[in-house]
Amino acid sequence: MIVLWIGLPFLSFLIQFIDPGELEGMPISFLVSILVSSIGGTLSAIMLSTSIVSEKNRHVYVLFLIRPVKRSSLILAKYLAVYLCLIVAVAISLSIGLIVDGFTSRLSENFLNITFEYLIMGFSSMSITCSIGILFGVVISSVPVAAILSVYLGSQLSSLIILPVFFLEGLDPVILSLALGIPISIIVIGIDISLFNRQQF
Amino acid sequence: MVEVCIEFNNISKSYKDVLALDDISFSIRKGEIFGYIGPNGAGKTTTIKIIVGLIRDFKGDVFVNRTNINTSRNKLYNIIGYHPQEAGFQEWRTVNQAFKTFGRLSGLKSEHLEVRIHEILELVGLTDARYKKITHLSGGMFQKLRLGQALLHEPEILILDEPLAGLDPSSRFQFKKVIKKLAKRGITILFSSHILSDVEDIANKIGILHRGKIRRVGTPEELQSSFKVGDVIEIIVAKNTPLCEDLGSLSKVEYIENPKANKQLIHLKPNFDIDLTVSQIMNMLIEQKCRIRSFNLVKPSLEDVYLKYVGGETD
Repeated sequence: MIVLWIGLPFLSFLIQFIDPGELEGMPISFLVSILVSSIGGTLSAIMLSTSIVSEKNRHVYVLFLIRPVKRSSLILAKYLAVYLCLIVAVAISLSIGLIVDGFTSRLSENFLNITFEYLIMGFSSMSITCSIGILFGVVISSVPVAAILSVYLGSQLSSLIILPVFFLEGLDPVILSLALGIPISIIVIGIDISLFNRQQF
Repeated sequence: MVEVCIEFNNISKSYKDVLALDDISFSIRKGEIFGYIGPNGAGKTTTIKIIVGLIRDFKGDVFVNRTNINTSRNKLYNIIGYHPQEAGFQEWRTVNQAFKTFGRLSGLKSEHLEVRIHEILELVGLTDARYKKITHLSGGMFQKLRLGQALLHEPEILILDEPLAGLDPSSRFQFKKVIKKLAKRGITILFSSHILSDVEDIANKIGILHRGKIRRVGTPEELQSSFKVGDVIEIIVAKNTPLCEDLGSLSKVEYIENPKANKQLIHLKPNFDIDLTVSQIMNMLIEQKCRIRSFNLVKPSLEDVYLKYVGGETD
């Protein structure tokens, strides 16, 4: 998590060195919000899936499951811990992007609205990615396989879900992202919990 | 009459095509130290995992304090402490952090938890390692940590799966001391092991499991007498002197072994008056003027009984 809190903001800082011409006037903060939520989502899926698989294989859960706590609490705790840390990382990165935009006078009049839209889309996408990462961790027994699936499938699946936002005109991207992101995340986490409850340790 | 604490009724468990437990039934009374023995792969860990709820897909019923474990599992976790055979920790934590986490998950309040952690660290001998990272602990300290987390919430029932495996002799001695201490406090203990000398040292009731079936349950004395394993008298004579003759003529003698030139093992038939038999043998030795160096009554060990059951013989 510390790597995310340092790495992603550092990445957003480096983006300012991209040729301004290539950005076509787009504020750094927009690019940051897209890139960071994509990279952050992928990293979080990898972290969740590999840590769950590794902890399963090392029998770490045994000592938790014999306590009077629900199995679902373990899954939800992992999800919330990673998701919240990711939000913090995105917030730090975005703040750096906004500071850079402020100094380079790239901020447009409605930059806050647009930044907010991209943030919501990013958070929805990350939420889905985190839940898919947990799914891979619960179902798969091999750490490398979980990592590969998280990289190639986790992020792509969440992006596919958010894609309609870019192609369907007239739809409010914030509402659509929330309408897709929240229920899909809930459904996938529900599946994760159900599968985890059935596992025998 | 002492009440039954743990009751297994007709438990069967299969893993795909392998029948791990085949209709096993036994009970453990409150305050007993129940030694659960069997060869590797017999089903001991499966049995234990069923009691602690890690395996939920099985046939039959298990009752703990007269409560079916399938109906109120979380309540039972407050009274059961479990030392698993294999269990990892989040190795980036220290011993103290691990105990705090497990203590809170077990429902202990902060003030009481601090006191309890201190008590447990002293009991298991980990006081000096309190702030050490788990990844830096030795194998023996790891075992102590496993035992410590099982005792943190003052359980009434302790389930120990191979608690002495991998420990050096002095740690094993300390562990056995701790287990006996806990039993004196009235804690019911079920522990599995394939090291029979350890079971013999501490268990007051033993269950023998082989290929998923319970072969026998009973006290060490009951196991010995039910399988008709008799006592053995070991006679060692002075070197270069003949062994005593005619001992085989005694009616209580089953057979005689001569493992060395100056050593005899007289296998007695079970269920005879041992004192009378020993007197008769001694009288014969004196009459024959045998030069005896050592005369020893050897009770059959748990290993002898175990091998007879696990070897396939039945009574």
